[in-house]
Amino acid sequence: MSTPQQAPQHRSIKLVYENCTSCMICVRECPAWCIALSSHSEPIPGSPPGPRQRTHNILDAFSIDWSLCLYCGICIEECPFDALEWSDELPGAASVATGLVQEMVEQPAATTVVP
Amino acid sequence: MADDVQRVEASAWHDAVAAAVASGCGWFDWLGAVDEIGRADAIRVVVRLAPGPDADGVRLEALVPREGGALASVADVVAGAAWHEREVTEFFGITFAGGDARPLLLRPDAVGHPLRRDAVLAARVVRPWPGAKEPGETVAAGRRRMVPPGVPDPEVWGEREGDPASPEEVAASTAGGRVRRRR
Repeated sequence: MSTPQQAPQHRSIKLVYENCTSCMICVRECPAWCIALSSHSEPIPGSPPGPRQRTHNILDAFSIDWSLCLYCGICIEECPFDALEWSDELPGAASVATGLVQEMVEQPAATTVVP
Repeated sequence: MADDVQRVEASAWHDAVAAAVASGCGWFDWLGAVDEIGRADAIRVVVRLAPGPDADGVRLEALVPREGGALASVADVVAGAAWHEREVTEFFGITFAGGDARPLLLRPDAVGHPLRRDAVLAARVVRPWPGAKEPGETVAAGRRRMVPPGVPDPEVWGEREGDPASPEEVAASTAGGRVRRRR
């Protein structure tokens, strides 16, 4: 089954956490509705406080439901920040369809260190 | 690729296709249709014929009414067109006189013609859309409502009271995006 010495395969889609701005474009463009994203906005550290303090979005959760994904690559194509890319790794197997929902944000956002 | 596009009368459809085939465009590429709702109360049926797979050819177009539209089948001239005609019949609700009327792809109990622009994806109306959230929102706040493509504005279809909206209005509101605020 394994085929070494081959070009990268389109086996799954990978999130590049650092690049994601939680803009929702991938979620809205997905024709299968297989992407779910959750984010919250936080004041940018060091920005001057006040009623109009600048904020940025922190990605809390990003999941792809592999039971729905078409592997069409539209999300990768549409992402303006290159936060999604093809990956060689196969999605994990599961005995029930709900087990095919893969959460891709590893750390809980509360402990994420923002540079 | 620059095809010669010709608009033909629906009554002259079969003769025009036969003439194009006789004039050398004997390679059948495809036959399809486009719902012209919003521009005309018609469905445009298009057939592309060419001398060969890589050559420029001719595209014949005929407008037929959306309700009860009919064309003469060209399957006797181009046998391969039969499959496409059956598909257009199911997806757009046009009949091809003298053609193969058997259903092709849809379930026997399917209602409506799914490729018409006023066909609503009812399953998508019911299911919550993950894209309804704004960036930075943990749950959809619902202040600015977004609908996915294929789902009309709820004011037009679904939450509308009184008479159902016209097919033109439904078709115009299924493009997806921000629901415009009314009143």
